Amino acid sequence: MLDMQGITKRFGGLTAVDNVSLKVRQGEIVGLIGPNGAGKTTFFNILTGIYKPDAGMIAFEGREIQGLRPFRIARCGIARTFQNIRLLKEETVLDNVKVGMFHKTGTGLWASILGLRSARYEERMVTEESLRMLETVGLAGCEYEQAGNLSYGNQRRVEIARALVSQPKLLLLDEPTAGMNAEEVQEMTDLIRRISEQGTTVILIEHNVSMVVGLCDRIAVLDHGVKIADDVPEAVVSHPAVIEAYIGKEEGEEVASGAAH
Amino acid sequence: MDDLFNPYYVDIVVFWMIYLLLGLGLNLITGYAGQVSLGHAAFYGIGAYTSVILSVKYGWNAWLSMAAAVVVTFLISALFGLPSLRVREDFLAITTLGLGLIAQSFFKNADITGGAYGIDSIPAPSLFGTPLKNTGYLLLVTVVLIVAVVIMKKMTGSRIGRAWMTIREDETVAQSMGINTTYYKVLVFAIGGAYAGAAGALFAHKVSFISGESFGFTVSATVLSMVVLGGLSSIFGTFFGVTLLYMLPEMFRLFEFELVDPKYLDTYKMMLYGILMVLIMRYRPKGLFGKNGTKLVNIRRSAVKTLDKGGDRVA
Amino acid sequence: MLAQQILNGVALGFIYILVSVGLTMVYGVLKLLHFAHGVIYMVGAFAAMIAITYLHLPFALAILFAMAAAALAGVAVERIAYRPLRGAHPIATLISGVGVAIFLENLFQVIFTSDTQAFPETGVEVSVIQLTESVTFTNVKLFIILAGLIGLGLLYAFLKCTRMGIAIQAAAQDMRAASLMGVNVNRVVSVTFMIGSALAAAAGVLVAWNFNALFPTMGAIPGLKAFCVVVLGGLGSIPGTIAGGLILGIVESLSDGFMTGMVVDKDAIAFVILILILLVRPSGLFGKHVEKV
Repeated sequence: MLDMQGITKRFGGLTAVDNVSLKVRQGEIVGLIGPNGAGKTTFFNILTGIYKPDAGMIAFEGREIQGLRPFRIARCGIARTFQNIRLLKEETVLDNVKVGMFHKTGTGLWASILGLRSARYEERMVTEESLRMLETVGLAGCEYEQAGNLSYGNQRRVEIARALVSQPKLLLLDEPTAGMNAEEVQEMTDLIRRISEQGTTVILIEHNVSMVVGLCDRIAVLDHGVKIADDVPEAVVSHPAVIEAYIGKEEGEEVASGAAH
Repeated sequence: MDDLFNPYYVDIVVFWMIYLLLGLGLNLITGYAGQVSLGHAAFYGIGAYTSVILSVKYGWNAWLSMAAAVVVTFLISALFGLPSLRVREDFLAITTLGLGLIAQSFFKNADITGGAYGIDSIPAPSLFGTPLKNTGYLLLVTVVLIVAVVIMKKMTGSRIGRAWMTIREDETVAQSMGINTTYYKVLVFAIGGAYAGAAGALFAHKVSFISGESFGFTVSATVLSMVVLGGLSSIFGTFFGVTLLYMLPEMFRLFEFELVDPKYLDTYKMMLYGILMVLIMRYRPKGLFGKNGTKLVNIRRSAVKTLDKGGDRVA
Repeated sequence: MLAQQILNGVALGFIYILVSVGLTMVYGVLKLLHFAHGVIYMVGAFAAMIAITYLHLPFALAILFAMAAAALAGVAVERIAYRPLRGAHPIATLISGVGVAIFLENLFQVIFTSDTQAFPETGVEVSVIQLTESVTFTNVKLFIILAGLIGLGLLYAFLKCTRMGIAIQAAAQDMRAASLMGVNVNRVVSVTFMIGSALAAAAGVLVAWNFNALFPTMGAIPGLKAFCVVVLGGLGSIPGTIAGGLILGIVESLSDGFMTGMVVDKDAIAFVILILILLVRPSGLFGKHVEKV
């Protein structure tokens, strides 16, 4: 469904993403790993249109989307979360999720000013959908809390709910388990699996290698902007280039043990 | 009917309501959508001059010219909103400031606006043959204000308000959620400007003489202060801020303090504004009725804490 | 005619530079739009007037007196209007600055009336220097250019060669890192305001002398135009500010000499240029281009 070819992005002299290609099939969970500064988030920012790639082609469901403005790409059905949680911290959880429904609704200026029935109907629908989504991600009961007051883990859930509420075809998760304890990681893993089972394709950036290995159908590894491996988890973790060039000695063992589980 | 109230008090209330309209428009732009504007007086002036030029020079009916003024300001304000698409927040403050000064300079120099002489004998709109002067005009302004408040409440409570809020808080998120930030930024300038345009038209037909002096930076700064003092993104806050800053100086006038030399009344008024602006920003930086507590308090707070600690140390 | 206008423009440009350097430095260090800077310029002019008329100081000392007074005023403004708000949202500090500016401007109107007064006798004869047949120059303008060059030279030496100067540069690059490295941020900020205000005051005195006029609102337009210059030069860059000031001075002077009957006046041209440039280069002429994320 997603086909990225030869994506390259330079910042001044630095090539953050260098000729990376990635194919994602419908329904897959693809992990994107790599050391800090490997270009993973830049890769997401290119995919979602925040950065324009210097070279390369991105086709989503057969339509070329590189260079489109971010909101157009979002409207194609690509939703994302952010590495450094970007919620509207002073708004309620519910309002945050409602924002995610934006491009699924179409009430115009006049309809809202005049309070037309269609506008009211749509607003009710948005609220209901958002509430349902909050329940799905396990946040029933905190709808009216200020988003900024939630725990770290729950803020990530709000972000996911915000991304999911528009029923995207492709969901991009940027480090969904960063800063979580083991139990929360497990809950997040289950949540992502449930999302996937409902038919949403998922790409996630992660540092928690054992989680990625357990969850993903396929893993791509970026190092200094170059894709050095792209295979099923078992093959990736035993890939010499991956162990050698990226993961390093000690962590290599951890990965190997992660793969064994 | 026109003699119902003392015209002096009617004037005070009418101008208060005009400032409310200005404040509401600016609150939309700066409070709800987070786009700093230091050139609000330009929209006010464009509204006033449009209506005046159409009614005085082209002989349009005052009602028609006032309506046209709102439409024209809507369109021109949209143009004024274009820089917000390109420049950063702090540059936007300067850009809008510049647009305001350019507009004022145009009012003062162009032929069509009467240049330095301004335009006088502006007709009052009439209803059933009688021109609306005091109380009648008060009613008209009241109606416009109520409609403006209702429209504002509806807009900000809808998905459009949500789009503005998201743009204000985080533009990247807004884009990623499928919000066409270009459209909504231009839209908020257009609507906020149209509010000011309505205020300008109402002002012009009330005072019957306008010149460029009435639409300068002082007005922009005053309205911004009113809105921020009351609290951004709060309609009630705007009411409070405008009322406080507008009514306080009127008190001087009404009670005729002995110690105040009437010649310097406006000067003392401005001094008071200045002090209030500094004090309120110091003790209530989010405004008195800001809906969102931390809005004006910083995002960079943690960084600043380290910074202040560093400041105590001797280099 | 052209050479004449350009020469006048350069003199005007140095005035803009003197006023704007302070704004640039304040923005560099605090990322703050200092809206009360124009008032400081006015305070400088009035301080020089007081020094000459009431303290009977010679002109050169009066300029130094004005610079010292303005430096104090600048530091006081920072203490009262900006420091308590440090870290607050830019709009809050901006309004606080506008508040101080409005207050001081009107305070001076109460004290000195809002009328324009003549600049006192300086003892320096205003004379016209005949450069070529058609190009003339007053010695006042020569002083302006000299003062600008001396000011910039001293500033350069200060920033490059003193500990405080280096601390200011460090703070402008990264305030937090500088403070972690032991730089006393509050002192850096105070010194920045002092220097900026002193330079602005020098400009104020020279302008008041040149036009033989001073009035409480004299700082409003130069203060706003200084923002133009600073943004043109790409906020926070001193070389950019110098270029911006010269460009603005020359363009204004040319438009004054060659274009008449325009729909906007000379003072608005600065902003027309500014907006045109920002539409093409959103970070100013010399600003680094930053992607908006």
